[in-house]
Amino acid sequence: MTDVVLAPEAPASTRKSTLLELSGVSVSFDGFRAINNLSFQIGEPELRAVIGPNGAGKTTFMDIVTGKTRPDEGHVLWGEKSVNLLKLSESRIAREGIGRKFQKPTVFEAQSVRENLAMALKNPRGPFDVLLYRKTEDGARRIEEIAREIGLADHLPRTAGELSHGQKQWLEIGMLLAQAPRLLLVDEPAAGMTPAEREHTTDLLKRLARRHAVVVVEHDMEFVRRLDCKVTVLHEGSVLAEGSLDHVTSNQQVIDVYLGR
Amino acid sequence: MRELVRSNPSIPWFLGILAAFCLGVTFLAEATGTGALSTSFVKTLGRTLCLCLVAIAMDVVWGYCGILSLGHMAFFGLGGYAIGMWLMYARTELIVAESLANAPIPPTPQEVEDAIASQIFGVVGASDFPAIWAFADSFVLQMAMVVLVPGLLALVFGWLAFRSRVTGVYLSILTQAMTLALSLYLFQNDSGLRGNNGLSGLQNLPGLGAVPQSVVSIAFFWASALALAAGYLAFAWAVSGKMGSVVRGIRDNEARVRFLGYHVESFKLFVFTLTAIVSGLAGALYYPQAGIINPAEIAPIASIYLAVWVAIGGRGRLYGAAIGAALVSLLSSWFTGGGAPDIDLGFYEIQWTDWWLVLLGVSFVAVTLYAPKGIGGLVDLIAERRRPARTGDLGPDTSALRKTEAAE
Repeated sequence: MTDVVLAPEAPASTRKSTLLELSGVSVSFDGFRAINNLSFQIGEPELRAVIGPNGAGKTTFMDIVTGKTRPDEGHVLWGEKSVNLLKLSESRIAREGIGRKFQKPTVFEAQSVRENLAMALKNPRGPFDVLLYRKTEDGARRIEEIAREIGLADHLPRTAGELSHGQKQWLEIGMLLAQAPRLLLVDEPAAGMTPAEREHTTDLLKRLARRHAVVVVEHDMEFVRRLDCKVTVLHEGSVLAEGSLDHVTSNQQVIDVYLGR
Repeated sequence: MRELVRSNPSIPWFLGILAAFCLGVTFLAEATGTGALSTSFVKTLGRTLCLCLVAIAMDVVWGYCGILSLGHMAFFGLGGYAIGMWLMYARTELIVAESLANAPIPPTPQEVEDAIASQIFGVVGASDFPAIWAFADSFVLQMAMVVLVPGLLALVFGWLAFRSRVTGVYLSILTQAMTLALSLYLFQNDSGLRGNNGLSGLQNLPGLGAVPQSVVSIAFFWASALALAAGYLAFAWAVSGKMGSVVRGIRDNEARVRFLGYHVESFKLFVFTLTAIVSGLAGALYYPQAGIINPAEIAPIASIYLAVWVAIGGRGRLYGAAIGAALVSLLSSWFTGGGAPDIDLGFYEIQWTDWWLVLLGVSFVAVTLYAPKGIGGLVDLIAERRRPARTGDLGPDTSALRKTEAAE
């Protein structure tokens, strides 16, 4: 199954190089500093968990990387050529290879599971490319593969709105896979999932992280422990601690602001 | 093609009903059949087909892409003006040439042009051709204007609006402002398009003076029907498949589409401009059948009517928009044309010429509240009764016993 989730286009890099780098990023909303001099780096491949209490700036961090929010100061650099992401539009950033899964599953409910996946499938994105797009066997096969991976193979013709909450979560993960991004930003992937599904999710994320950069935002400590990766703790918009889960959970500050409560 | 029909079962139905309707009208028309339908009624039907076409365009931009444009009748009117300029110029040229033919000295080209200009612009006290009439003597160039003028206006307007991420009701207001500004400009006598007189005599085709209007009417009727059929096919193709997916995605969750890597603004601009061009073409077929176009035709209310037709017919389905436009505009001419009998309540007499708008308003509110799918939604009732939509696997887990049980 490994081949399914790994996009054929993905470069099989063995050397770990910095893919995304944020430095000195700050943003305020109406005087409230949501992100305060945040610096963050992730390599490719790497799996990283980001934890932190509510309001620590986890979602704002993702908004900045995906271009939804423009920071007041700081740099966000991407890839080998150190492209400045702050100058690119949201859609351009997505085409550069940054995929995002939202906390609340946001799929196109009026459309079928197949259409949802087909829309996400990595293909030219211009209006004329899309207008003249022809279905290919390759694309259909890839949709089938992804559907099997996310357990929705029998549901392809169904309307996405009919799916259960957990299935929508899976569909969104499938859309993320179909995009074949280099960096995956995953916001609370396990919310609303059964224990078996959680295990499948951890398994999937770990497999993805063999070749891609994966950032997982998660509240559930048990889930983070199973990911078994480097953890970044955010607090009041900046990095409080970084390291292995055991390392950060033994940090007194982390215990005070987050775990102690 | 087969796949297009499979994903849009409405195509054969729509085209079949349209063809049957055309044949019926042809057999009943004055020029080609029994004459049961008057020439003016054939023109009304032909105009209705043009309105169906612009309604389909409106449905694509509103029902599919979620942009409530309240300015598409401006593009329709611009198409009408563009073709009207050529019709007026060419016909006046013939008349002028005829009257100058008896002059002792043959007129110079300049004299001919001046005579045409004073004929056309006499009503607004001018006698020179404004710059925008530069191509009016050429049918081909003026037909290009039918496409280019609405297309360019939509492109520039859409680019400015979508780039600034103006959406929802603010965009609707902007489009209303656009159509209002355009109509106010055209109302001025020095706009170069004869102010509130508009362009008239458009039913007289230059060089075809000997052809009776009964023949002209049925020819335009067929041309309108062909344009509607072509427009239906083209839009059905465009909104099926991946383009349709993306466009409906933009309607339902614009931000999500953006995060999938689609440049939403380009898609909106594409849809907006394409539908504006089709509206312009529909207008170019409509106004020769109407005979006259003036700035009142592109007043804001016209575009609001267009949205009402689409809402009543059922947005998000092309045939719904066509049904809505045909039904409401025909009913409108029946009620306002004195076709509907007045109702005497004893203490008050309901005259439909006054009360039609109230009835339309009430039906609009009723449809919005109680039948959001519109008239087109009735089709679902029939289709669903025939074929229950049981796709996918709604049973228990595939690992459950039922598989082996069912196999026995």
